[in-house]
Amino acid sequence: MKYLSICIFCISLISCSKEVDETLYKAYSPSKVDESGGTWKTFILASTTDVAISVPKLVTDAAYLKEIDSLKTIVIPGLTATQKKAVEFWGAGAVLRWNEIGRELAARYNIPPASNAAGIYPVPNAADPLADPKFPFANPPYTARALAYLSIAQYDALVAAWRFKFLYNRKAPFEIDATIKPLLPTTNVPAYPSEEVVVAQASYVILLAMFPGEGPFLKEKLTEAKNAVIWAAKNVGSDVEAGASLGAGVAANVMARAKTDGMSDANNQTIVPNLIARSTSLGFINPWKSQESPARPPMLPNYGAVSTINLDRKTLESIRPAIPYLENSSEFKKELAELQDIQKNQTREQAAIANYWADGQGSYTPPGHWHRYACDAGVAAKYSELRMARLLAYVGSALMDAGISCWETKYYYFSPRPQQFGLKTSVGLPNFPSYTSGHSTFSFAAATVLSSFFPENSTKFLNLAQEASDSRVYGMIHFRVDCTMGAKHGRLIGDYAVNRAQADGAQ
Amino acid sequence: MKYVISLALAMVFFIHSSKAQMPHDGIYMNKKLACGALIYSHSSWTNYWENRLFRENLNIGRLTTESMMAMVAYGITKKINAIAVFPYVQTNASQGNLMGQKGFQDLSFWLKAKAFSKQGISIHGAIGYSTPLSNYVPDFMPMSIGMGANSLITRGIITYDMAKHLYLNGSIAYQMRSQVKVDRDAYLHGGKLYQTNEVPVPDAFDAAFRFGYLKKDNQLELFAETFSCTKGDDIRRNDMPFLTNDMSMTTVGIYGKYQPKHLGVNAKVSYVVDGQNVGQSLNVSLGILYIIKL
Repeated sequence: MKYLSICIFCISLISCSKEVDETLYKAYSPSKVDESGGTWKTFILASTTDVAISVPKLVTDAAYLKEIDSLKTIVIPGLTATQKKAVEFWGAGAVLRWNEIGRELAARYNIPPASNAAGIYPVPNAADPLADPKFPFANPPYTARALAYLSIAQYDALVAAWRFKFLYNRKAPFEIDATIKPLLPTTNVPAYPSEEVVVAQASYVILLAMFPGEGPFLKEKLTEAKNAVIWAAKNVGSDVEAGASLGAGVAANVMARAKTDGMSDANNQTIVPNLIARSTSLGFINPWKSQESPARPPMLPNYGAVSTINLDRKTLESIRPAIPYLENSSEFKKELAELQDIQKNQTREQAAIANYWADGQGSYTPPGHWHRYACDAGVAAKYSELRMARLLAYVGSALMDAGISCWETKYYYFSPRPQQFGLKTSVGLPNFPSYTSGHSTFSFAAATVLSSFFPENSTKFLNLAQEASDSRVYGMIHFRVDCTMGAKHGRLIGDYAVNRAQADGAQ
Repeated sequence: MKYVISLALAMVFFIHSSKAQMPHDGIYMNKKLACGALIYSHSSWTNYWENRLFRENLNIGRLTTESMMAMVAYGITKKINAIAVFPYVQTNASQGNLMGQKGFQDLSFWLKAKAFSKQGISIHGAIGYSTPLSNYVPDFMPMSIGMGANSLITRGIITYDMAKHLYLNGSIAYQMRSQVKVDRDAYLHGGKLYQTNEVPVPDAFDAAFRFGYLKKDNQLELFAETFSCTKGDDIRRNDMPFLTNDMSMTTVGIYGKYQPKHLGVNAKVSYVVDGQNVGQSLNVSLGILYIIKL
């Protein structure tokens, strides 16, 4: 009997359920409607008059009434449990869900190519995205840029949508016919075009361009997102069609910018000898060297030349952090000693911080981490789709600018990693120069924008950024100066996004 | 190595006990007899199965896991034994820059009972519970010293004693494994992104067949074992392993024990001949055993 009770005790120690607890996002009524949202300044779309949708049919028109009738007599009575589940999922927020999808794709594609039998690392091929190695390698710069264009396309498309919504002022089905009960919280924002579908279509275009092997997966999400607004009785088919047309039109504008922003030349390895020569001439005794075996070409050495969003090239160069400590300086020796001490005495808390922020391969990278924080902050503030997209566009563009500026700095100095001085790492070593820390730059840029949107949480965001920055010292892959200077740089870059936000008409 | 030897000596002299009896065998300590063992194990691989792709990794080189285990078996009755195991583990990669990990791994506690015995055939049941002894990092794989899960293992054993001290032993076990909490707050599992720090470690089966010679306390045995998770995902191309992986392996080996009196030694060599999402490891262990009457 005694043994039996021991057994029962043991079983009770192991949870029978393997279901993990995840943050549950639920639909809410947005705190603001923003009737004038259609006048806000867009990022890439020169003007909302550059895109057009057809004038909607009046609510008294026979074609429209037929749509209402089909909603009442076919769609709503025939709703399945799966469809209701889809409504619940998408109801949490179109911008939120498409951001999550973008982050999931980034995580799935964030694996460096393996070397082949000849010791060569094949370059992922956009024309054959599912071959080994898969295209893209969604590393932090790639992901920062992909998520930035995603958020910008969503925002620009929603500004245009807001203009048309209040221009045509066509009501939602449940306002036309009181017997229609929507499945989600409602607002009095006009229904034409459907804002969720504007977001879905714009997101689909951007994500398909960024992850070209994911056509079937993205198509399935798009179809479900479009159907969900009808199943929820928020929209009729013509609201959806107009939304899709508008989303596609704006996304095409954004993609035109993306295609010519210099990304196609970001992996130009021919410039590397010149970069090393400059590094040596600046006084670096041991310029950066790949620590992988076989040596892997540095990650995106020309990413620093990609066009930034919120600052110009002259500014980018003028705010580049000053040269770090050189190998023979006492400051360098002190910082090396700090890392050597961590290697010997790393505490579990330091390891935990390093692991939490590692955001290495198979993750959505630090830009993804900050997009997630931004989404959570937007949800907590009950942001509308428009407000959420605006927040993510500023956070996302700051992250992209941070990536470009940081990469420009990294390859300007081409400075060595601590591992070139015998250190190990508890998180994994990125394959590019050390100074400045990408984590520090990304995190402080994002935290600066988030602080401006949510001043009451400023301390929280800046503390998180500081932790992200410190995590790279705790993981022993950055010198302290890489992080402190990256943090300063990140704040400056974030300020450019904040300044832009303050002048867009939404405040 | 020096500390291993001194720890071994300390255990032998101060704790006093021993006799190899494992959760999977049909051997029991007599009532109020205790057997203590100190076992040093060395396990290493250079090649591993990334999903089914058999490969090397020049940024790991040879991955070595060393462990020092203190083990105590005690005869509650002649037919019911309790066993406890305390391992200290450390890992090291010969190439690349991943930092080795070390620490106390998982304490396991077993109860084993003989349920039936007739005409040389006996049936036994064992139940074991294991839980991490320290807050080690479970998801810095392959450098982590363990998986961090609590496990409840239920094992059935059947043995057949043949002529001339020969025996056959078959066993099968189900390992229920808990979720683990990791430091990160998001991870991929089966291509889906989970935004939580809770990771489900898949349950597993293992089964083994053994053929050996046992006379008094001296033993020589050949064995084959198979281990397989009930579900899980595969290591993606050129990615690191993760806790959710569907690991499986088939191992063959030889085990021997020599125990003329109270003091004895045992040794085991095993090799993974096939697997998925695991390293092809060669494992060697050496132990000192001591029996004491309490």
